Amino acid sequence: MIPNPGPRVERRRLGTEALKRVLDVTRKLAAPFDLATMLAEVVQAAKQVLKADGGTLWLYEPGPNELVMRVATGIEPVRMSADRGIVGECVRTRAIINVPDCYADPRFNRDVDKRSGYVTRCLLTLPLIGHDDALVGVLQILNKFDGVFDEQDEEVAAALAAQCAVALQRVQMTEALVAGARLKQEIAVAREVQMSALPREMPVLPGYEVFGSFRPADETGGDTFDFQRLGDGRLFVMVADATGHGIGPALSVTQMQAMLRLAVRLNAGLDEAHRHVNNQLASDLPPERFVTACFGLMDAAAHVFEYYAPGQGPILHFEAATGKIQRFLPTGPPLGAFPLAQSRPPRQLRLEPGDIVGLISDGIFEWPDASEAEFGVERVEAILREHHRLPVATLAEKVFEQAAAFAAGAGQADDVTIVLLKRSDGGIPEATIDAVEFELQRDIGELDRIVAGVKSFWEAHRLPAGDRFAVDFAIEELFTNMVKYGKPGSTRIRLRLQCEPGAVAVRLVDPDSENFDPTVDRKVDVDAPLEARRPGGLGLHVIPKMVDAFSFEYAGRESRISFKKRTES
Amino acid sequence: MFEIEAAADGSRMLVGRLDAAQAAKAQAAMDELLSATRLDLSRLEYVSSAGLGVLLKTQKRLMAAGGLTLVNVNGHILDVFRYSGFDQIFKIEAAGP
Repeated sequence: MIPNPGPRVERRRLGTEALKRVLDVTRKLAAPFDLATMLAEVVQAAKQVLKADGGTLWLYEPGPNELVMRVATGIEPVRMSADRGIVGECVRTRAIINVPDCYADPRFNRDVDKRSGYVTRCLLTLPLIGHDDALVGVLQILNKFDGVFDEQDEEVAAALAAQCAVALQRVQMTEALVAGARLKQEIAVAREVQMSALPREMPVLPGYEVFGSFRPADETGGDTFDFQRLGDGRLFVMVADATGHGIGPALSVTQMQAMLRLAVRLNAGLDEAHRHVNNQLASDLPPERFVTACFGLMDAAAHVFEYYAPGQGPILHFEAATGKIQRFLPTGPPLGAFPLAQSRPPRQLRLEPGDIVGLISDGIFEWPDASEAEFGVERVEAILREHHRLPVATLAEKVFEQAAAFAAGAGQADDVTIVLLKRSDGGIPEATIDAVEFELQRDIGELDRIVAGVKSFWEAHRLPAGDRFAVDFAIEELFTNMVKYGKPGSTRIRLRLQCEPGAVAVRLVDPDSENFDPTVDRKVDVDAPLEARRPGGLGLHVIPKMVDAFSFEYAGRESRISFKKRTES
Repeated sequence: MFEIEAAADGSRMLVGRLDAAQAAKAQAAMDELLSATRLDLSRLEYVSSAGLGVLLKTQKRLMAAGGLTLVNVNGHILDVFRYSGFDQIFKIEAAGP
């Protein structure tokens, strides 16, 4: 029997009409525009959703601390210092400012009106804050058609602003990549877009362990995952996989993610979100393309995971009490396959102590070995049953490792995404004996993955944060040396972190390398005057001062570098 | 992620991780500095030798104009500066009280 979760505050639901309008806008913003078009689209969208007469978008430039307006209907581009007027206040406070009567507000800067001849009556000013909490710009919406902006408008505008910020950031980033880095191959761009949408850290959910990981294939597929904490303590969880490879699927899946995020933030019901997002994708996507996904809400108070899994399956539920695993098939056809007139209610899973829900992309289940045999669901289930007591981060790593080992060198052909939700059973995870291992391409860009992976290892093992810096530093210096001085090629560098009593042991293995011993002191003159200083060699010089037991072995072109960091506990 | 934010007094705030993956972006931002500048490191979480290289290049270029002054340098980062002798080639003001 499911216990009564207690009284719930009645949440105001956004009207279907408003939700549809906002989602419609989000969908538009997901298209691959150039910056100028995107700026115009954002303003147009905001005006349309908020039923307002005018709009202005200021892009924020942190260098000179200036705001630049490139779009304003009928007004020439303007630059101004970011500490003036209402916009300036918005830059400073990063809060919505709702001014019902501009000419009665001393902060209002009348110069712009004077120059344009337009009379601003009421004004809603919103900060556009991107993925990484950076201020992208400020959006101002002017003159609501039928009165002044109310609380509901503020709510809708805030949700819209979040979408606009992310869309703008994506366009800026894509443009910078395409223009600057000669990364003209669309696959590289697609991967950047895809990676930028991933959560930067794992959410904290009381009584639960939550972990997600994403490993792109050599040629980008269309996977992603997402976590969003909602105001009422529930957690939105999503795993998705768009058909095909390259920029199309990467954009389809980020579009879907943006739409779903928005729908749950606006407190639309799951069923409504499911139907709207499906129907919009159905009309947008080319006929051969669709998105499989599992998305839902984890209610940690009621211990219920309520979800849809359109086209995505099996969803695995490990039951700690019986040691058995329930497999659940998809709840319906993939998103965007065809329009739905209505959707069935979401499926509900109840989690008992120690139970685990696994949302795993087909990149794992279908990972083939050289003879085309697939890794399969049974093997994944066996790993979950055997290792369910491990911290979920380690458990996910184990699933990946064993699938990779099964394939035995047959490259990763598809993206792999693993999301695990575990209800804590009060026991201590088997952390002290365990380890994580990463396979890394010879690319400095892999550092971001290392940072994220090492961080979740730290969190999973509850180690003191104090020594993290030294380990991060040594890993980066050693890894970048391997990339810079190693032979370019397809062999992967392996990084392993292992928890030992009182220490973390780290090992980096380069299977194809010259015999270069990084532990030999190369005598950097750290007292030389400025003009004689060279940056080279500093990293290797500093490592032995920060970590312990730094050692090197070399055999048959394989380098193994090890070190330990003693922890306080 | 790494960002440089400008403060009203002309100083710059370094924010995030200054590692090899961010070094090119950081260098481009530092290249825009044209005179002696105070860098506030209170929100810099991490620096590696690639980041030290960016600071070194900038220091050499701006030396004649008065160079960089580093303020609010936290413990781990200060250690890296000491181990590499960078504390001798930058003006460093200790973290505030």
